[in-house]
Amino acid sequence: MTHQDQLLKSAYSDSLDENVKTLDALLDKSIDLIIRPLVLHKGKDIRARCYFTDGLVKALEIDTILTGLMAFTEDVFKEREELTGKELMERLLLNFSVRITHEIGEGITAILSGDTLLLVDGIGAGLIVGTRGWDMRSVSEPATETVVRGPRDGFTENIRTNTGIMRRRIRDPNLRIEGMQIGTRSKTDVNIAYIKDIAKEELVEEVRSRLKSIKIDAVLESGYIEELIEDSPKSIFVTIQSTERPDKVAAAILEGRVAVFVDNTPFVLVMPTYFWEYVQAADDYYSRYWVGSFFRQIRYFCFLLSLTLTPIYVMLVSFHHEMIPTELALTIASGRAVVPFPVLLEALMMEIAFELMREAGLRMPKPIGQAVSIVGSLIIGQAAVQAGLVSPFMVIVVAVTGIASFAIPNYPASFSIRLVRFPLIIAAGFFGLLGFAVFLFGFMIHALSLRSFGEPYLAPAAPFRPRDQKDLLARMPWWSYEKRPSMAQDRRRQPSGTKPKPPRPEPPQPT
Amino acid sequence: MSALRRIGCALLALALFAGCAGKQEISELAIVTGVGLDLTDDGEGVRVTAQIVRAADARGQTGAPAGGTGEPIYSVSAEGDTIFAAIRNLARISSRRVYWAHNFVIAMSEEYAREGISDMVDFFTRNHELRMETWVVVTPDRAEEFISTRTGIEILPGESVEKLFWYSDIVGEAPQTNMMNVEEMLLSDTTHPMIARAALRKAGISNKKPEKGASVNQAELSGAAVFKKDRMVGWLKPGEARAAVFFIQDVESLILPLACPGEEKHKATVELQEHRFNVKPALKNGEISFLVSMDADADLVEFGCDGPLESALPDIEKVLEKELRQGFESMLEVAQNDYQVDFLKLGDRVRNEYPVYWHRIERRWDSIFPDVEIEVDVHAEITSSVLKVRGGRK
Repeated sequence: MTHQDQLLKSAYSDSLDENVKTLDALLDKSIDLIIRPLVLHKGKDIRARCYFTDGLVKALEIDTILTGLMAFTEDVFKEREELTGKELMERLLLNFSVRITHEIGEGITAILSGDTLLLVDGIGAGLIVGTRGWDMRSVSEPATETVVRGPRDGFTENIRTNTGIMRRRIRDPNLRIEGMQIGTRSKTDVNIAYIKDIAKEELVEEVRSRLKSIKIDAVLESGYIEELIEDSPKSIFVTIQSTERPDKVAAAILEGRVAVFVDNTPFVLVMPTYFWEYVQAADDYYSRYWVGSFFRQIRYFCFLLSLTLTPIYVMLVSFHHEMIPTELALTIASGRAVVPFPVLLEALMMEIAFELMREAGLRMPKPIGQAVSIVGSLIIGQAAVQAGLVSPFMVIVVAVTGIASFAIPNYPASFSIRLVRFPLIIAAGFFGLLGFAVFLFGFMIHALSLRSFGEPYLAPAAPFRPRDQKDLLARMPWWSYEKRPSMAQDRRRQPSGTKPKPPRPEPPQPT
Repeated sequence: MSALRRIGCALLALALFAGCAGKQEISELAIVTGVGLDLTDDGEGVRVTAQIVRAADARGQTGAPAGGTGEPIYSVSAEGDTIFAAIRNLARISSRRVYWAHNFVIAMSEEYAREGISDMVDFFTRNHELRMETWVVVTPDRAEEFISTRTGIEILPGESVEKLFWYSDIVGEAPQTNMMNVEEMLLSDTTHPMIARAALRKAGISNKKPEKGASVNQAELSGAAVFKKDRMVGWLKPGEARAAVFFIQDVESLILPLACPGEEKHKATVELQEHRFNVKPALKNGEISFLVSMDADADLVEFGCDGPLESALPDIEKVLEKELRQGFESMLEVAQNDYQVDFLKLGDRVRNEYPVYWHRIERRWDSIFPDVEIEVDVHAEITSSVLKVRGGRK
């Protein structure tokens, strides 16, 4: 243990000078650290000091501390000889959040988090006053997951705002939000949210213990946490869902899942996660169930297309010509007549060009980003075909693949699908149907072996859970969801027989 | 070396050393859409003519400059002692790999068919690239010419023959014989093959010189070639082929012009809508006989006769029955007397019904068949005469 660690662990001394010395040694001088000396009682020579960080505090709260202390201390001391920290807190501090700390380190963390540390001579403890109030982005529409029908609020970078949004949705006393700090240097606030009687206790404990076992100096985004606690760290599949949508998180919590909020990021982690959720959109549950089910099917189809269309095309054109209907074969052959590259190379070229445009369009400043996509589409769609570099068919195939991959509502998942596509294309181009099948089956077997916090990744399809099917391929009407998915502890969601009916007409009264 | 690296090396080696085995770009192929088989001039060998598609020209411009010659097909022929030898010789000329999987049609000239088709069937069924749905026809013309003539609406001659077969059941004058059927009939102990006849006929009218009348060749599908074992023995006329088709496959509909009752000059036309065609073998005193029965419902689609419809209908029904019966009878006559081969799968029906008896006569079936008694019973009914009551003629 270094000297600094020892100091951080040490307790406050009764002497203010002593404490100031320790704090000065630890914090030294930073331009944003403000130390405000006060004299509370002239006659008794009670001195005090406020420590807070400029830029993180709300000035109004500091004013309240100063007003309370300066104006009323002398009155209080008329009645009494001495004051303890507790009495100080109860009688003089008008702020809404005050707590007493005995450890130096805790006080320092509080200062650096935007709270104010108040040290008073003669009190061997520090008072932490809640004065947090930094500038932040207001709640706005999530950028990554947009819906047509559904709430427009998204999480922000402030963890308290986020947990507040969650409380607004679930006003259940059993909704527990537990806090911890992760990161030896960043001390990032991480909160776990779950409903006590719905989520399985083992699951919550598992999340808790995995979070506690993280040893990292800083957590700057929930992606860090995701990578440090997932079940299969080497897998290409995402086994923890991250979302910007509060309604998604609330729904997940109500199904017995656990959400992990991380400060400074609008992305909240939800665990455990089934693979199929990446294809399910929030809209599904808000629009009519026929519509929701239909578009869910479309998304499943898109998922298949974006994964397999290009590999299948490459495979057919370079190995299995007999599988293409004759007329189509001729059309493809005529389009390819002048293309100097093998299909595999052509496909890789186009796919990479597509990814390139997408990435460039994303990284460019917004006004320029559009230009990238326009120029890119002109070059790829028109000029490359006319120049005889690629066949028009390949442009169509890659375009459909690309568009299909955008239809998958979850970004990380759609990225992994696109990543899987490249080895598939190469396998199909080298080994034909054999390679395609072997690779696809390899990925499927791998996906089958995955677990997310103990839940099989492909459930409820494999293992097949008949009771959970209502939300897999189709979105059944809400009145039919009597039970929660089997990952929940308390499975009853609503009483049966809630299907709405028109009122039964009164039997005609005999007149 | 870790396991992962070992797997990686294995994959890399596979990709580099064996990777693209069997890989062939679609644009590097010479896609054959029709094959013609002729005898060579000395009658010893085979002359194989392949109709190869020039994809860029057959499909026109699809964005990329194709640099075509404007001709959608490229026909090439080669000779050899056997079909395979001829095809190998074809490769000497062709700059691309000859690819058979998209072949639409195999056409054999009459001379070739008379020499025996078992070589052809053997070669084309052994060839793994070939689809069993390829149509097989016998042509009285030179197969070479038949294959390489651009005909009709379709750009590719092979395609036009394919589509003729698709819609051939409207006319019903030729059996739908694809490789699978032909092989089945050839290998069968009971049946002899019957293959559709396709010929070139001047039917199309040139756009540039319409005054010259029909001058452009068209492929015509009508009639059939009758085989004994694998050698062709003769032709069936279109009418006979139509009756024979009932025996070997399902006929969807049939259009028959009939002479009006009492007056030969005018005609009424009926369309066979639904029919139940049945062949029943009967064994009596060790003698086999057949009852061919047909129960047909027909629509009256054209009524050119004089007089009112109501009174004419029963008569038309009778004429229809007679026409159908005569069709069957004359076809059976041809089969039993002229060719003396069972291409009607009648032997099959005996085998299925009386397996023990069949076992006894199996070897003698070809000699028994010409003398077998076949009774034809046709019952026809006109179920719909359409709303118009009067005839078109006053």
